[in-house]
Amino acid sequence: MHNKKLEIKIIFTVIALFFMVFLFAPLVVLLRNSLSSIIPLIHNKEIYTATQNSIQVSLVAALITTILAFILAYAVNCTNILKPINAIIKVGISVPMLLPTITYGFVIIYSFGKQGLLTKILGRQMFDIYGFNGLLLGYIIYTVPFAFLLINNSFGYIDKKFMVVSKLMGDNFLRSFINTIIHPLIGTLGGAFVLTFMLSFTDFGIPTSLQGTYNVLSTMLYQVMLGSIPNFNSGSAIALIMLVPSIIGIVFLNYLEKFNFHYDKFSKTEIVKNKFRDISFASISILTIIAIVSVFLVMFIAPFVVNYPYDMRFTTKFIFQMFTTGQIKEVYVNSLYVAIISSVLGVVISYVSALINVRTNLSKRVTKSIDVFSMITNSVPGMVLGLAYLMFFNNSDLKETFTIIIICNIIHLFTTPYLMAKNSLSKINPAFETTGELMGDTWIKTIIRVIIPNSISTIIEMFGYYFINSMVTISAIIFLVGATTSVITSKIQELQHFEDYNQIFILSIIVFLTNIIIKICCELANKKIQSNRERL
Amino acid sequence: MLELKNIKKTFGGRLVLDGISLQIEEGEIVSMLGLSGSGKTTLLNIILGLVPMDSGSIIYNGTDISKVPMKKRGFNIVFQDYALFPNLNAYKNIVYGLKNKPDLLSKEELEDIIDFLELRPHLSKKIEQLSGGQKQRVALARTLVTKPKILLLDEPLSALDGVIKETIKDRIKAITKKYNITTIIVTHDPEEALTISHKVLIIDKGIISQYGTPKEVINKPSNSFVEEFIVHQLQIKRDNIYNLFGECYA
Repeated sequence: MHNKKLEIKIIFTVIALFFMVFLFAPLVVLLRNSLSSIIPLIHNKEIYTATQNSIQVSLVAALITTILAFILAYAVNCTNILKPINAIIKVGISVPMLLPTITYGFVIIYSFGKQGLLTKILGRQMFDIYGFNGLLLGYIIYTVPFAFLLINNSFGYIDKKFMVVSKLMGDNFLRSFINTIIHPLIGTLGGAFVLTFMLSFTDFGIPTSLQGTYNVLSTMLYQVMLGSIPNFNSGSAIALIMLVPSIIGIVFLNYLEKFNFHYDKFSKTEIVKNKFRDISFASISILTIIAIVSVFLVMFIAPFVVNYPYDMRFTTKFIFQMFTTGQIKEVYVNSLYVAIISSVLGVVISYVSALINVRTNLSKRVTKSIDVFSMITNSVPGMVLGLAYLMFFNNSDLKETFTIIIICNIIHLFTTPYLMAKNSLSKINPAFETTGELMGDTWIKTIIRVIIPNSISTIIEMFGYYFINSMVTISAIIFLVGATTSVITSKIQELQHFEDYNQIFILSIIVFLTNIIIKICCELANKKIQSNRERL
Repeated sequence: MLELKNIKKTFGGRLVLDGISLQIEEGEIVSMLGLSGSGKTTLLNIILGLVPMDSGSIIYNGTDISKVPMKKRGFNIVFQDYALFPNLNAYKNIVYGLKNKPDLLSKEELEDIIDFLELRPHLSKKIEQLSGGQKQRVALARTLVTKPKILLLDEPLSALDGVIKETIKDRIKAITKKYNITTIIVTHDPEEALTISHKVLIIDKGIISQYGTPKEVINKPSNSFVEEFIVHQLQIKRDNIYNLFGECYA
């Protein structure tokens, strides 16, 4: 590890200042504003109902999502289902992550509405899409990929040998299942529940089109702030109410850490043959993936027919219309610009923060402070952060600029890439910096020559994460965009008022395809690096 | 000559080294021997300049280098796990230091080191393709390229198997002789220490139990620790070999 050096101290100071100005200061202003109106607001019946609704629908969504994600992860890890099915589950489940949540609402309307695609296929409307049911479905589709990734990852760290031991000890199925699967995963399952609850509770995109009369907090916050007369005090008070469950959730997530099992080895064993089990899990998994993907199917049909669902003749007029107006090009270029700059700068900031935390000898207080930055960014919902920025930078030159949108993205999405970098850097031999120094390198030179090349795959993944999420986020930037800085997600939100669903879907397809291209590029880049290493 | 004077070091209130003083002559191989937690690796890191000492001084050829930073001391180390850079092949690892100081070594000297350590067939291999012994030799070569005034080896043989261990042991002796480098080795294996070194430093709980030649340690153990843990251990090994092969074989 590296000794204390001036360059590291300077880098840390810059990072600390960045978080002071763009995280703590706006939050302090928001909290100060909220204090004056929080008490009367709590007694406001509408707010009370919206809070109750938000909690209710998010809790049910979190419960169903966690169970569903567990079933899918179990199918992938503990059954002998065919490898292609495994691949379909893994790819299919990630489809919703490539789209903004605001699109989910519209595809649900176009799929399950009275004239919806799935309603027509199934012959009847399955449920009333506006209100609790629609929100619940939207939240499940939105959060199930996150829960699946979390649980599936934890399955990889379970020592499968214990299943054999349990069987040899004479455990029946239930006892074996509880002891070897549920107990080791209990922390992760709890974590998945909390995470999905928080995602649903703070989401703005889905309720914006599906809430009907079932008011939730995020849309209430939007109405208060961007109504005819913005009410900053009420807005910040609602933001504070939104912040509370998030903070409780983060505290609970940290508490759940202690339930995580740490096996010394993660040995794999042959999974016992059981055709009934395999067919059952394969069927459930395939049906789930088909259900998720089919909801989005309508997005690829509606803009290409004359008048969905009445006149289903193929047409490209909407596509041409959209591209000829020039509007699309402008918001798409804006979105790309924001996503690329957010990704590059976000990767630099999160990577350097992890570097300082893991690969230097700065005092524990310093390294802990970076973890605190990460924890706070994780617990502040995007909408709350956006609102805090709106208040803090309202009278500054940064208002409605790309700079503020980019900074908001960097802060809002900081935690995951930071943890990815921290995890990767902690696995690199701790003696590399000392060796580099003994060979005449400066610290920065060793980082460039050795540490970065050895963590390049993680850097590419971090870039992909930042890019895709910058492309799809709506909640963080909804209060920050202006007339010239509109991005695709805010444009979708705007088009909703004109009920121009064809344009909404075309924009969504563009986001989807862009994200797929980036995902493929990241995969290819990683494969190229891997093959270069093998050739070395 | 390297001289350590009254070196003390505490970690979190625990005294790890308590007044270590000794002299190492140029070209000597000295092994630091002790149980886990005895302070031997800490002493090695203090000599290297990686860990600061609380008090005491390090004199090298008459100059006090206690405050000289690691990079400027001119010593170098081969870590227990070799710390070879996985993004570079064997050759690029060996010449890593030359990128910073291209004039440090002539082409002939570099070729000589590569040939001496028999690394030529492995130069284009990536690190994960090398065996333990080959990794060890690449790490040694990388360090020798920087022409260290003192070569420090942290448990150099612990990850190696029997026959390769003996080969590397011979190689270390040969390097020291050929390049006349003072070499300090950290080990917990008495047999290793006594068969490779000119002198052995036995540390117990941060203080020197004995510092002398292998013969002195065997014939005149200074205290019960040396007697019990070093000499006795070797006697058991010797007896086992006698039992297996008969006394005449040994």
